Amino acid sequence: MAGSKNTQSWMESLALMGTVSVTFVDVNGQARVVPDAQAGLSLMEVGKANDVAGILADCGGACSCATCHVYVGEDWMPVVGPPDEIEFALLDMVADVMQDNSRLSCQIKLSAALDGLHVIVAPN
Amino acid sequence: MTDSATLLETASMTDPVISARPRPFYAAMREQDPVHYDEKLGMYLIARYEDIQTIQQDPITYSVNKGYHTQQAAGFQQEFQDILKRDGGGYFPDAIMSDPPYHTRIRKLMEHAFTAHRVKELEPRITKVVTDLIDSVADKGAADAIHDFSVPLTIRIICEQLGLDWDMKDRIQRWSIAVTAQIGRMQDRAEMIGHAKEICDLQHYLIAKMKERQADPREDMISDIVHAKIAMDDGSIQTLTFDEAVSLVRALLIAGNETTATALGNLFYILATQPEIADLLKTSVDDDRLLNRFVEELLRIEPPVRGLSRMTTKQVELGGKTLPAGAHLLLMYASANDQEDVFPSPRAFDINRPNVGRHLSFGGGVHRCVGLALARMEIKVAAREIVRRIDNIKLAIPESEITYLPTVATQSIAKLPITFTRRS
Repeated sequence: MAGSKNTQSWMESLALMGTVSVTFVDVNGQARVVPDAQAGLSLMEVGKANDVAGILADCGGACSCATCHVYVGEDWMPVVGPPDEIEFALLDMVADVMQDNSRLSCQIKLSAALDGLHVIVAPN
Repeated sequence: MTDSATLLETASMTDPVISARPRPFYAAMREQDPVHYDEKLGMYLIARYEDIQTIQQDPITYSVNKGYHTQQAAGFQQEFQDILKRDGGGYFPDAIMSDPPYHTRIRKLMEHAFTAHRVKELEPRITKVVTDLIDSVADKGAADAIHDFSVPLTIRIICEQLGLDWDMKDRIQRWSIAVTAQIGRMQDRAEMIGHAKEICDLQHYLIAKMKERQADPREDMISDIVHAKIAMDDGSIQTLTFDEAVSLVRALLIAGNETTATALGNLFYILATQPEIADLLKTSVDDDRLLNRFVEELLRIEPPVRGLSRMTTKQVELGGKTLPAGAHLLLMYASANDQEDVFPSPRAFDINRPNVGRHLSFGGGVHRCVGLALARMEIKVAAREIVRRIDNIKLAIPESEITYLPTVATQSIAKLPITFTRRS
C-alpha cells in the first residue's frame, strides 16, 4: 500500500518515545488505568482510543470545543502547566463546570514527565 | 396571536411567514410536541436540546449521509443530479456529509486545516480585511450591512484561504445561494434549474483551479486538499479521490461563507437594536475574554444555521415518540438555544452566562462545524473593529420589515439597511 514506508517510520518514531501510565476517572466515576499510553499522543487521543466515557472530543483535537475537558489530579498541575489563552477561552465557555485545574485533554501531550498522571473527566 | 395548539396543527417551516419569525412555533413544539411532524415538509422537527444532543452523540442511528442527501434538491433529486452530470463535470456527493467510519477519514483531513491555533495566526490578516471594508463605507453614513459588509468580508477571507480570485465575489455569492438552496426546501423547479446551472458553473471553475494546483502546488487550501495525505490512527496513510476533493473544496467555499456572512449580519442587527450591547463592546474592545463571550452569545441568540437534517437507520425512541427507520429529521438548533431550563431568560442577550458555550449553533458530536474557530475569529474581529470605527448604528427600516432568505436550513437576513456615524 502507498505510504507503508512512512507508516513504519511514523510508528517507529512514536515507539522510541516510550509509554506512560495514565489514570482517568471517567464521567461516570469509574477509574480507568491505561498502563501503556503512547508518549507523543495527546491525553485526549489516549482517552478516545480507550473509550473513556465523557471524552467526546467533537472537534478532533483542534482546541475548538470543550468536550475533552478534564480536571488534572492533585499535584499534577505544576507538571502539566496552565492552559494558554486560546484554550482558556474555550474553558471559559463552560464556566459552569470550570475549575482551577481544568484543562482540555487534547492540549496535553504525553511525555515521560507525565508518567502516573491522574485526571477526572469533567461533565459535558 | 396564534395559540400554540393552532400553530402545531397548521404551521410549517416551509411557510415563509413562520420561517421568518419562527420563535412562537419553536416554543409550542418544545412545550407540547418536541418531536413534531411537519406535514408539508415531510420531516420531524426536533425542538428540544436534550433530544438533539442524543442524536448528535449517535451518528450511526441518525445518519447525516442519508439525511443530507435526501434533503438535497428534495422533490427534484434525479433531475438535479442529471443536470450536474451532463453540464457540471459530474455529480459529486458531499464527502463530509457522511457517516462513520468513512466520515472519520474525511473529517481528520479537514480538522488539520482549522485548529484554533492555526486560525489565531490569521488574526492580523483578518483584521486588515475587516478594517479596509469598514473604512470603505464608514464615511457614507448608510449601507446595507449584508451586501456591503458581511458578504464581501467572508468571501474575501475564504478566497484568500482557498487561493481563489477576489474578483469572483459576485459569482461566489450566487454560487453560495445556489448550493445552500439545495438543503433549504423552499425552491420550486424553475429555481432548482437556475441553481443547478450556477452549481455547474461553480464546479467547472473549481475543477480548473484544482487541476492547476495538481500540477503546480501553492500555499493554499486547494493545494492542501488536492495533495492531502491523511495519517489514520492505525498508522496508515490515505489520500482523497478527485471526486471527494471536488466536494470538499466546494464545501469549504460555500459552507463557511453564507453562514458566517449571516452571523455578521446578525452582529449588525444586535448592535443596531441593542445599543447597550454596543456600548458595552465599545468600552471593552481590549477585553478578549468579554469579546469571546460576546461572540458565543451572539451565536446562541441568533444562530445562523437553524436546521440540519438526519435520517434514522432503524426504529428508535426519541422524545417520547417511536420513529420508524427512514424518518427524516430536522434538528432545530435555534429552538434548543432558546430552551429556558438550559439558558434561563433565553431571549436576553447575556454574555455572562456560565454555560454560554453550550449552544448548539455549531451542531455537536462528530459533525460539529469544522470551521468553527475561523467563524468565531471573523465575528470577533468584526465586532471589535466595527465598534472602534463606527457609532450610532441604527436600522434604516422598521424591524418588522426585515426579510429572510427562503430556506429552512438557515435564518439569514436578506437585506439590512443601516445608518451610522464614523467615530472620531
